[in-house]
Amino acid sequence: MAGLTRTAGAFAVTPHKISVCILLQIYAPSAQMSLPFPFSSVSQHNRLGLYLLSLTKCCDDIYEPKLEELINQLRDVGEEMDAWLTDHLTNRFSSLASPDDLLNFFNDMRGILGSPDSGVVQDDQIILDPNSNLGMFFRRCILAFNLLSFEGVCHLFSSIEDYCKEAHSSSAQFDASNNDLESLTHYDQMDMEIYAIDKATEELELQKNVSGSVPFHLHTPEAIFKVIEGLRVSPKESSRTSKKITETTLVASASSSTVVDTLVDESLFLRTNLQIQGFLMEQADAIETHGSSSSFSSSSIESFLEQLPNLAPELHHVHFLRYLNKLHSDDYFAALDNLLRYFDYSAGTEGFDLVPPSADCSMYGRYEIALLCLGMMHFRFGHPNLALEVLTEAVRVSQQLSNDTCLAYTLAAMSNLLSEMGIASTSSVLGSSYSPVTSTASSLSVQQRVYILLKESLRRADSLKLRRLVASNHLAMAKFELMHVQRPLLSFGPKASMRHKTCPVSVCKEIRLGAHLISDFSSESSPMTVDGSLSSAWLKDLQKPWGPPVVSQDSGSRKSSTYFQLCDHSVSIPGSVSQLIGASYLLRATSWEFYGSAPMARMNTLVYATLFGDSSSSSDGELAYLKLIQHLALYKGHKDAFAALKIAEEKFLTVSKSKILLLKLQLLHERALHCGNLKLAQRMCNELGGLASTAMGVDMELKVEASLREARTLLAAKQYSQASNVAHYLFCTCHKFNLQIEKASVLLLLAEIHKKSGNSVLGLPYALASISFCQSFNLDLLRASATLTLAELWLGLGSNHAKRALDLLHGTFPMILGHGGLELRARAYIFEANCYLSDPNFSVSTDSDTVLDSLRQASDELEALEYHELAAEASYLMAMVYDKLGRVEEREEAAALFKKHIIALENPQDVEQNMA
Amino acid sequence: MVSKENCRNEIRAAIRQLSDRCLYSAAKWAGEQLVGIEQDPSNFTPSNTRFQRGSSSIRRRFSTNESISTPQPSVGFSQAATPLPEEDETIDGDLYLLAKSYFDCREYRRASHVLRDQKSKKSVFLRFYALYLAGEKRKEEEMIELEGPLGKSDAINRELVSLERDLSALRSTGAIDSFGLYLYGVVLKEKGNETLAIASLVESVNSYPWNWSAWSELQSLCTSIETLDRLNLNNHWMKDFFLGYAYQELRMHTESLAKYDYLQGIFSFSNYIQAQTAKAQYSLREFDQVEIMFEELLRNDPYRVEDMDLYSNVLYAKEACAALSYLAHKVFLTDKYRPESCCIIGNYYSLKGQHEKAVMYFRRALKLNKKYLSAWTLMGHEYVEMKNTPAAIDAYRRAVDINPSDYRAWYGLGQAYEMMGMPFYALHYFRKSIFFLPNDSRLWIAMAKCYQTEQLYMLEEAIKCYKRAVNCTDTEGIALNQLAKLHQKLGRNEEAAFYFEKDLERMDAEGLEGPNMFEALVFLATHFKNHKKFEEAEVYCTRLLDYSGPEKEKAKSLLRGIRMAQTGFPSMDLEHFPI
Repeated sequence: MAGLTRTAGAFAVTPHKISVCILLQIYAPSAQMSLPFPFSSVSQHNRLGLYLLSLTKCCDDIYEPKLEELINQLRDVGEEMDAWLTDHLTNRFSSLASPDDLLNFFNDMRGILGSPDSGVVQDDQIILDPNSNLGMFFRRCILAFNLLSFEGVCHLFSSIEDYCKEAHSSSAQFDASNNDLESLTHYDQMDMEIYAIDKATEELELQKNVSGSVPFHLHTPEAIFKVIEGLRVSPKESSRTSKKITETTLVASASSSTVVDTLVDESLFLRTNLQIQGFLMEQADAIETHGSSSSFSSSSIESFLEQLPNLAPELHHVHFLRYLNKLHSDDYFAALDNLLRYFDYSAGTEGFDLVPPSADCSMYGRYEIALLCLGMMHFRFGHPNLALEVLTEAVRVSQQLSNDTCLAYTLAAMSNLLSEMGIASTSSVLGSSYSPVTSTASSLSVQQRVYILLKESLRRADSLKLRRLVASNHLAMAKFELMHVQRPLLSFGPKASMRHKTCPVSVCKEIRLGAHLISDFSSESSPMTVDGSLSSAWLKDLQKPWGPPVVSQDSGSRKSSTYFQLCDHSVSIPGSVSQLIGASYLLRATSWEFYGSAPMARMNTLVYATLFGDSSSSSDGELAYLKLIQHLALYKGHKDAFAALKIAEEKFLTVSKSKILLLKLQLLHERALHCGNLKLAQRMCNELGGLASTAMGVDMELKVEASLREARTLLAAKQYSQASNVAHYLFCTCHKFNLQIEKASVLLLLAEIHKKSGNSVLGLPYALASISFCQSFNLDLLRASATLTLAELWLGLGSNHAKRALDLLHGTFPMILGHGGLELRARAYIFEANCYLSDPNFSVSTDSDTVLDSLRQASDELEALEYHELAAEASYLMAMVYDKLGRVEEREEAAALFKKHIIALENPQDVEQNMA
Repeated sequence: MVSKENCRNEIRAAIRQLSDRCLYSAAKWAGEQLVGIEQDPSNFTPSNTRFQRGSSSIRRRFSTNESISTPQPSVGFSQAATPLPEEDETIDGDLYLLAKSYFDCREYRRASHVLRDQKSKKSVFLRFYALYLAGEKRKEEEMIELEGPLGKSDAINRELVSLERDLSALRSTGAIDSFGLYLYGVVLKEKGNETLAIASLVESVNSYPWNWSAWSELQSLCTSIETLDRLNLNNHWMKDFFLGYAYQELRMHTESLAKYDYLQGIFSFSNYIQAQTAKAQYSLREFDQVEIMFEELLRNDPYRVEDMDLYSNVLYAKEACAALSYLAHKVFLTDKYRPESCCIIGNYYSLKGQHEKAVMYFRRALKLNKKYLSAWTLMGHEYVEMKNTPAAIDAYRRAVDINPSDYRAWYGLGQAYEMMGMPFYALHYFRKSIFFLPNDSRLWIAMAKCYQTEQLYMLEEAIKCYKRAVNCTDTEGIALNQLAKLHQKLGRNEEAAFYFEKDLERMDAEGLEGPNMFEALVFLATHFKNHKKFEEAEVYCTRLLDYSGPEKEKAKSLLRGIRMAQTGFPSMDLEHFPI
């Protein structure tokens, strides 16, 4: 029994509209002369006309200006005759002493309308055409007045009294500052052009449709919502459409803002159903955009929402808004309560009134949407099992009522839920779901189930043309394929280097499928209405909790990928759509990261940061920052990375579930390893391990990373057997949880351990296995570093293998130099020098530059990295070469460097102090 | 023990004072209690007493534990502390008399205008009260005038602001009397300032306890037992009325009944007390008793409409069509535009299965009183019958929003969602309902059924719920049977046997027979046979033999098996033995 049955969009006479009518009468008096009395020039007359036109256009706004605001605006419009206009207006109002006067007033008004059949009009005659905009407005006012009952006229009369009274109450202060105001307005007029342009550029971001040609810009209907948004915060300040008079309004605002807050006053300005619905949708968007960030005060909106049900008890959308608000301020009970209340009252149909009502749904209500929302809510509050139960029920009910749209969304939500919950915590969930969809797959693993759900959802969304859902499903699919390597068992082997879907090209293809659909939004607006406002809420929730450490994207950006092309239309692109596009860039960056192409990854991240960064949500921006910092650490050394980290920390420390700490630990660990500060490194490892096991469950990937780092620390401490124990155990874990990529790096680590322990023969098979893993999963960079290790192992077998090692190295050099980080490159250079030096056929004296160049490169890069161990090795080799060549001075220099690095390596405490 | 004579004198004075101040409903209430006091038989002719004694035989039958002989020690009496306020004007001013007659003609503004310069406390109060009522009247009119597209606009009593200002000024100078305090409390309550309202009302009833309106307002502010306990109230017999009422609204029915029992010692013939007792008994589901009480009430007070909706509920529950139609007809003739009357007629149509008409009458009741809780709930029930679940949900939700502790509406919401195949969603509502009434086995059973649905199939949870239902003395005996079956389904035969035995005991005690009985007997016999407890098994088998049908055959074969086993043959079914 939604309250929508009543006439929506009723046009009611208000005091403000009467003001406009009075002005209209001045503009077009019934006496027919070329230029009516107060106007001194035609342009002045036209100016008032334009002003009136804009006033009538925004008469459907939720809030109407107060009398004194109108007078302020008139001051600008009327120029020298503003006093006359104001006087006339107030006099006219004060002459309305009884309801009868109102009746007479509207009778008089009728006179200024030209008769529709007056065919021949003299040129200089001013007639209000009944079919013009102004004429229509006028007629609507008269009609609405005529429809009023006597009680209605009485109410109008008393509200006019209030309207005038408020103006008078503030007039005392107003007069006091009158002199200033006059000078101000004077000043404004002088600089009108400059000022208007200034303001226009300032406002361009906020209101795309500022029309520069009209200096007294008024909000056109599209801008209404923007204005309202400001109104909520401070009903006075930002409703000012004419920005030039901000100063004057501020003076007035102090006096009347208190009045605005009273209930009586707001009921006076309560508007039609559609206006309020639109307003609420806008508010919902605002809540979603700002989320739980501290800048957005949820209490202010809450107090506003509490008042609305009093004024409009049949407007149930308010409850949904309160739910959203509570959801974002993490108030579980209030959120639950409001959600249930909303669906109890509206049966899920209100808020979807833009959707053409389909017969089957309207009969039973749409309670499946309630289930979907409830599921999302449970998920967000960290009750995955409850959420799964609810979503299962949602699937069943939507199937029953054949609501395919809801089903598609539900399946997407479910797959998201399953993939989010991670691998470790799902076993408890598996037993408890009985959905027809999921039960068919009950024997499958979670990953497979996620895949099936995604496929199903995608198929439905595709056939229903739910573009947003399609896009987000494509994104999820791309992410899934990136995360879960699907390996056909038969063709596994080092020979078959086939294309997996982890290949960036295929990921991009998948993403583009989504992005392509999104760009359709710019041209057509129908999908927006099809999806309704709630869908943006769903998508937001769908998007919100992505985020295992490797691939995580959250986004809230307001612009689109094809930014420059679309920025004209950016108003018409829903926030959720541009979110998706932003997310797709981050995902692309991640896929390149996997593949090992650092420049591509960096480029995509940068695209994201520059185009979407300014308006993206904080968690998204954080992720982009993290990626860039990681890049810095690898390619520019730790100093730069830590400097950047400091900036990021200031910016994102308030974000919930911040990943900053994680990155900091990783960086500190790397650095401690390089500097040889093993105690610190061990501590960092332990802290990482601690982060992996949260109250929500165990984050497997983080856990794996922590133990990988532990093994590396042990390796650096030369505790080979312990290191290899940890690595072996790690390999088993990875195998158990099907973490293919991690497997490759663990194998490499094992090879590394054997290499360091001098057991090259044992290391070889590990290195080879790692290479074959990398090959089949297209992990090019990892493969390059595995090849390097392989070459090192060969060399370790004896100097007679130096040639073979060198060949291997040269084969992989392009990849290493093109995409590798500082450490890898330095290692390659040093190794190359090593190979040459150990090659018996190589003579230092004849070909010294080959070796020296490599070593110089290496030591430069290691300097940035502060990697003392390798740097010492490079210096040592350099000193040896110089010694052979007999260049004593340079030898001493290199030796000094060597000494410095060795001392630094043995006294890591000094470095740590710098670091802190 | 309160002296009846004292009470009588107090009330007589109070009625005069209340009527002087135009507090008519309080005066009416006081009047009812005055007549409710047992009269001194010597003062009255036998005809008078007969009118009063009416049907005291029935009364005696049901009020077994009359507490007249044992007054509760906690209720002290401190009449001395609250002396009757002496009339401040022995001769009423002329203007006051005019104003009062205006007031009686419902010309409130006129009345308040006449009293504008009067200084006497009585006149001041009447002026404010008239102003308040004028504002209320205007508010109701505005509500209809301003009805917008989004529902009713929030019309407010425009006099509240000035009333609050004037009354608080009066209060700070100390020139306010207890009636003024009452009005001040009402105004504060409407303004949403509940703490101050409570304080003001408490002060009012402490200085003048006979104003039942003040007590009722106070009750409406006591939404929790904590608030009630915090009130600092002087002892007075009116306090017992208040407590009885407040306990009842807080669903503490036994405490409430105790209070009323005590009060009945003094006000033996009070219709009010009888109606309240009936209400409490109704909540305890003692329908037979309630029916008799209401019958008697109607005999004494045939044109009573108050509380008759409750009577109609009882008649509905007992499916007494004729009685219900008689009642409906009677209240219809008395006053058809009372929400209660509409509700009774709605109930009647509902019982006759004409749900559309029932809804129409419930709607009318709600038009007369938007906050009429039971009409919302009953309308919800009707919509459920009409399979219009969204409308039902809407109606229930409105009831819940009016009074969040209305367990019936929560239960209705749960039911509606369960009907739509959303058992998991429904669970939340059942849980809410149980939270407010944890001792009702019906609610627990409903929840258990929800868990049992094939969609959820959470049998362990269902078992827990049924156990709770058993502890709440499940009168319909569903829980035991279900418990046994569930345990049987889960293969826990020991538990199943335990509950089957219990169920059997219950059926024996109530003298019931039926398929449940057979099922229990068959299971028990087989179970005990399998566990080699042949004696028990035989007992059950022989009980089965008393019935005809397939069970008898089953019993016979079981018995044969038992004999075999006892005589040393391997325990095998005889039929499968090729001889």
